[in-house]
Amino acid sequence: MKDIMRIKCLLSADIEMLLNQQIKKEAHSSAMYLAMASWCNQNGFDYSSDYFFKQSGEEREHQLKLFKYVLDMGGRAISPDVNGIKQEYTTFREVFEDALDAEVAITQSFKNIAAACMKEQDFVTFEFLNWFMKEQREEEYKARRALELFEVIGEEGTGRWEIDKHVNKIKYDSETAGA
Amino acid sequence: MTGVKTKATDRFTEVFGTKAGTVYQSDREGCWYIDFAGKLVKFDYRTLLLLKKSIYRVDIEQLLLDSSKSPEIEMVFICACNHCYFLNLLQIIALKELLEGTFAMLELNQILHDRLSRMVI
Repeated sequence: MKDIMRIKCLLSADIEMLLNQQIKKEAHSSAMYLAMASWCNQNGFDYSSDYFFKQSGEEREHQLKLFKYVLDMGGRAISPDVNGIKQEYTTFREVFEDALDAEVAITQSFKNIAAACMKEQDFVTFEFLNWFMKEQREEEYKARRALELFEVIGEEGTGRWEIDKHVNKIKYDSETAGA
Repeated sequence: MTGVKTKATDRFTEVFGTKAGTVYQSDREGCWYIDFAGKLVKFDYRTLLLLKKSIYRVDIEQLLLDSSKSPEIEMVFICACNHCYFLNLLQIIALKELLEGTFAMLELNQILHDRLSRMVI
């Protein structure tokens, strides 16, 4: 008896489900960053707004990269429902705290998928995930550095104005960035 | 339908069967035929997975506990498939059992293929 299941699709049902969940998480992140860009813009933090617009676009690219991978492997990619996006923030700092929390959660989520791939020896998907693992190094670095500006510069006086100016200049270009 | 079934099953491999029904695989057509609730229906890879999803998401416990007098009939309609099932609760349980067995056998078949014919030495 032919193994039609395997002929039609490289992914197991479990891995396909995990990748679809990740597609939803990336879509949620993209929408979350867009809401942050809106809040920052409304409150006069133009540079931070631009930073979050850019982040939103990147998350959308990640979502599509995962989406196309599922399709390329013969799987069923699901366009996700996105709801429950937080639109209002109490403080400027809270925006960056939420951004870092979200990136940490995304990294954890990729680690879980990689662990599932290892368990069922899906090294093809595991190798595909490497790109995202590296990307998460940069994403977490940028989010952490942005939040640290609140300690380094301080929010008093023109502090928030300074922080806003510096957010867009954060670059992950240390020695380990290209490795 | 019986005549069709007998003729068709000659070219099929039985994947899994219960008292309520049987699932056959056609290697030549790359699809499955489900003989259940008095009809033989063809499913390709995508529609078989959709059927599995539709049946698995029926909350059997909730239907059992439901004390309202609504008829215990569920309609299972699969997009891109020309057939639909109208099933009572017992039939849903039976179809679920049939599909669970089928997917276990298909998984076993994949393990056998991996171990016996896809060995890379």
